[in-house]
Amino acid sequence: MDAIVVSHLTKMFSNLIAIDDLSLKIEKGKITGLIGADGAGKTTLIRLIVGMLAPKNGKISVLNLNPIEQKAELNQKIGYMPQKFGLYEDLTVLQNLELYADLKNVPHDFDKLLKFTQLERFQGRLAGALSGGMKQKLGLAVVLLSSPELLVLDEPSVGVDPISRRDLMQMVRDLISPQTTVLWSTAYLDEAHSFDTAIVLDKGKVIFQGKPTELAKTSQEFENKVIDLMGGYQKKVSKVAENYTCSNTNNVQYTVIAENLEKRYGDFYAVRNNSFYIKKGEIFGLLGPNGAGKSTSFKMMCGLARPTSGTAKIMGIDIVENPEKARSYLGYMAQKFSLYETITVEQNLEFFASVYGLHDNKLKKRLEEIIDIFNFKEIRNQDTSELPLGFKQKLSMACALIHNPPILFLDEPTSGVDVVTRREFWNHITSLAKKGATVLVTTHFMDEAEYCDRISLFYRGEAVAIGTPDELKQRVGAKNMEEAFVNLIEESDK
Amino acid sequence: MKILRALIKKEFFQIIRDSSSIIVAFLLPLVCILIYMYGINMDSVHVTIGIKNDDNSPEIAQLVNSFSSSEYINSVCSNDIKDLENKILRSKLKGLLIIPNDFSKKLERGQSADLFIVTDGSEVNAANYIQNYTIQIANQWLSNSKYRATPYIVTPLHRCWYNQEMNGYFFILPGSIAVTMTMIGILLTALVIAREWERGTMESLLNTNVTRMQLILGKYIPYFILGMLSVIFNLIICIGIFNIPFRGNYIVLLFVSALFLFASLGIGFLVSSVLKSQFLASQIAIGVGFLPALLLSGLVFPIASMPKFFQHFTKLLPPRYYITFIESEFMAGTVWTIVFKTSVFLITIGSILFVAVYKNTDMRLSND
Repeated sequence: MDAIVVSHLTKMFSNLIAIDDLSLKIEKGKITGLIGADGAGKTTLIRLIVGMLAPKNGKISVLNLNPIEQKAELNQKIGYMPQKFGLYEDLTVLQNLELYADLKNVPHDFDKLLKFTQLERFQGRLAGALSGGMKQKLGLAVVLLSSPELLVLDEPSVGVDPISRRDLMQMVRDLISPQTTVLWSTAYLDEAHSFDTAIVLDKGKVIFQGKPTELAKTSQEFENKVIDLMGGYQKKVSKVAENYTCSNTNNVQYTVIAENLEKRYGDFYAVRNNSFYIKKGEIFGLLGPNGAGKSTSFKMMCGLARPTSGTAKIMGIDIVENPEKARSYLGYMAQKFSLYETITVEQNLEFFASVYGLHDNKLKKRLEEIIDIFNFKEIRNQDTSELPLGFKQKLSMACALIHNPPILFLDEPTSGVDVVTRREFWNHITSLAKKGATVLVTTHFMDEAEYCDRISLFYRGEAVAIGTPDELKQRVGAKNMEEAFVNLIEESDK
Repeated sequence: MKILRALIKKEFFQIIRDSSSIIVAFLLPLVCILIYMYGINMDSVHVTIGIKNDDNSPEIAQLVNSFSSSEYINSVCSNDIKDLENKILRSKLKGLLIIPNDFSKKLERGQSADLFIVTDGSEVNAANYIQNYTIQIANQWLSNSKYRATPYIVTPLHRCWYNQEMNGYFFILPGSIAVTMTMIGILLTALVIAREWERGTMESLLNTNVTRMQLILGKYIPYFILGMLSVIFNLIICIGIFNIPFRGNYIVLLFVSALFLFASLGIGFLVSSVLKSQFLASQIAIGVGFLPALLLSGLVFPIASMPKFFQHFTKLLPPRYYITFIESEFMAGTVWTIVFKTSVFLITIGSILFVAVYKNTDMRLSND
C-alpha cells in the first residue's frame, strides 16, 4: 500500500522550475527521509503533498485524496510541521496545545505528550521563550495531537543540538502507530540513514529512492554516497583562502582571549566564568546544546553585548574599552541571515566593502575579486531574498571576508545548508586558518566539530570541557564526536 | 463553533500579551484627545496683533483701548511701521491694524471710513480669526461711540447654533473617536493576518480543520470587541471627563459606531490578506485608511473647500459619513435622516469589503 503517489508532477515559480516531471511512491507505515541540496525542491514537494501549493502539471494522491480538491478531508488525516514549527510564540505551551487540539477537534488530553516531550514543567512558559530544542518538541507534540495517519516534517532539526535531535527521533518512533507514514525532510544524513527509505532530490527530480542501508552501511559512507549522487564533491584548492592575506601581523601570542566572561540577567547566568585563549591560525569551536550560552558569548566577544563582568581581547585590544578598534579586526557572520534582502548580491557586497572603508578604485577591484572568488557572477544582479539558503550563507561569508580580517567569528555558518555546500565551507575555513586566520566557530554538526583544532563544550552557561576533539573523545571513551558530546553533557548533569 | 471559539480565544491571548494593541486601543486615543484638547487650538486664542494709530482724536484712543482690554486678542501699539512689519516677519505678531489719520474725520462727516487690516496668510485659521475679531471689536466700539448714528454701519446679529460657545473641541473630540476607531480597524488589523504569514503560523492553521469563514470571523470578532471597548472608553473620556455635551442617543451612537467599525475592519483585513508582510501592510493601511480618515473626512478640512474631484472621492470614505453622524449626534441630537443614510452606506461598504476579504483570503500559499 502506498500512502503517497506522485506522478509526472511539475511546479514552476515564475520561470523557475522547482519540481520537474517528478514521480514517486511512498509506502504506508514507513519513515521516509527527504534529502537534497538547497533549492532542490524539498519544501516545494512537501507543500504540494500537503496541498499548500497547487501543481502546474501532474497528479498527486495522498491517502487516496486529492490534496487540492479534498484539502479539508486531508487535513483531518495529516499532521504537518512547517519549517518554522508554526507555533504561536506569544502563547504559552499549554495554550498552543489547547488551540491546536480545538482546531483539530481532539480532546484536551496532553499528559502523555507532555511527559514524552519533558515539557510538563514548562506548560506555563511562552513558546517564544523556549530553547530551539524544546520548541521543536512542542511543534511535534502539536502535530501528533490528532494521531495523524501521515506525519510530514519539514526540516524539524535545523539549528538543533545533537541531544535534542536524538530525543526528537525517539519521540517520533515511540508516539506513532505502526500504520503511520512519516515524511521527514532533513539536512542531517545520519538521521536519514536511520530511516526505512530515503529519497534524494536534485533540481526537482528524484535521483535516488531506496533503503539507505543498501546504499551504504555506515552513515559516514552514506553521506559520501549521497554526495556522489548529487554530482560529487571534489576538494579543490580554496580560492577564498588563496586570495586571502592575513592583514595584521601584529605580534600577539593569543589573537583572541576571553577572560572570565560573564553575562547575568537578574539571578540567571547566561554565561559564567568563560575563559579561553586562541592562537593565531587556530580553529576554535564552541559546541553545546541550544540555550547553553554560545551565542551570548559570541555577542560579548564582538562587542554587541556588554559583559556583566570580565572582558575579551581581540588582537590584544580590549573589546569593552575600545570596541571599534577591536571590531576592525573581525569578520563576523551572524547566526541569522543579516544582509539586506531587498537589494542585489553585488549591492550587498558593495555596501559592506564601503562600510569597511574601501572606496573608488580599491572598492571596485575588491568587488570584482570577491565576485570571482565566490563564483557570484551569475547571481550578482539577483535580489538577495530570492537566493537559496546555501547561497545566502556564502554571501554572508563573502561580506565577512571582504576586508581581509585576521580573525573570523562564524556563528552556525552551516545551519540549514546542504552537505556539499557544508564541505565547501569547511574547505574554505580550514584553508583560511592555514594562511593565518584565527577562527571562532559554533556548529550543531558534530562531524564538523572534528575540523576544529580545539573545542570548548558549553553547557548551562559554563564551559564543561576544553580540548582537542581527540582529547574530548578519549576522556569519555567515545568513538565519535556526537557520542562524546552526549556523554560529556550527561556526565556534567550528574 | 468550537474552532471559532478557540481562534477567538487565541486572538485575545495575543492581544493581551502584545502591549501594542492595548496601546493603540486605549492609550493612543487618550493621547489624541489630549493633543486635540491642548495642542491643536483652532480657536487661536491669545494671538497678538500690532496697532499703528495715525489718528490722534480721543475717540480713536478708545478704540485702541478696547483692543487692549479684549480677552480674545492681545495688541501692541507702535508708530514704527518698519518695526511692526519686522515683528510680523518673525511671527511675533500675527496681524496688523492700521488706523489712517483721517479715520475719525471721515466718520465725523458721516462718510464710511477704512480700517486697514493686515494678516499673516501663511496661517489661514489665525488670519480669519484676526480679521473677524478686529471687525467685531471695531463695530462694537462704533456702536458705543458718538458716531453710532452713521447709517452705513450694519451690525449683524450673530448666533451660533448647536455650539453656542464656538468651542472647537466640542466637535473635534467626537471626531477623534472616528480617527482612533480607524486606527484600530485599519492599522491594528492590517498587521494581524500578515503577522501569521510572516511567522509561519498560517501554514500550520491552514492544515487544521479551520474553514475560511472561521478563519476570517476568528479575526473580525476579537478586533470588533476591542474596537467597541475602545469606543466606550473614548465616550467616557469625552463625556465624563471633558464634559462634552451629548444631545443624542447612546444606543444609536453605539449602533452606528459598530457599523463603522465593521467597515473599517474590512479595509484593514483586505489590506493584510493581500499583502503578506507586516511592514508593507502597515504602510499601505496608513496610506489608504488612516490619512484619508484624518484629512479627507471633513474632520480637519471642510469638504466643501476641497477640489471637486476629492469632494466626490470623499463619498467613498466611511469616516466621512461617520464623522458627520457623530458630530450631529453630539451637537444636535439624533437626526434620523443622517442616521439612516450613514447606516445604509456603512452596511453596504462593510459587506462589500467582507466579501472581498473572504475572496482574497488564501487557503494555500500563493503561486509565485
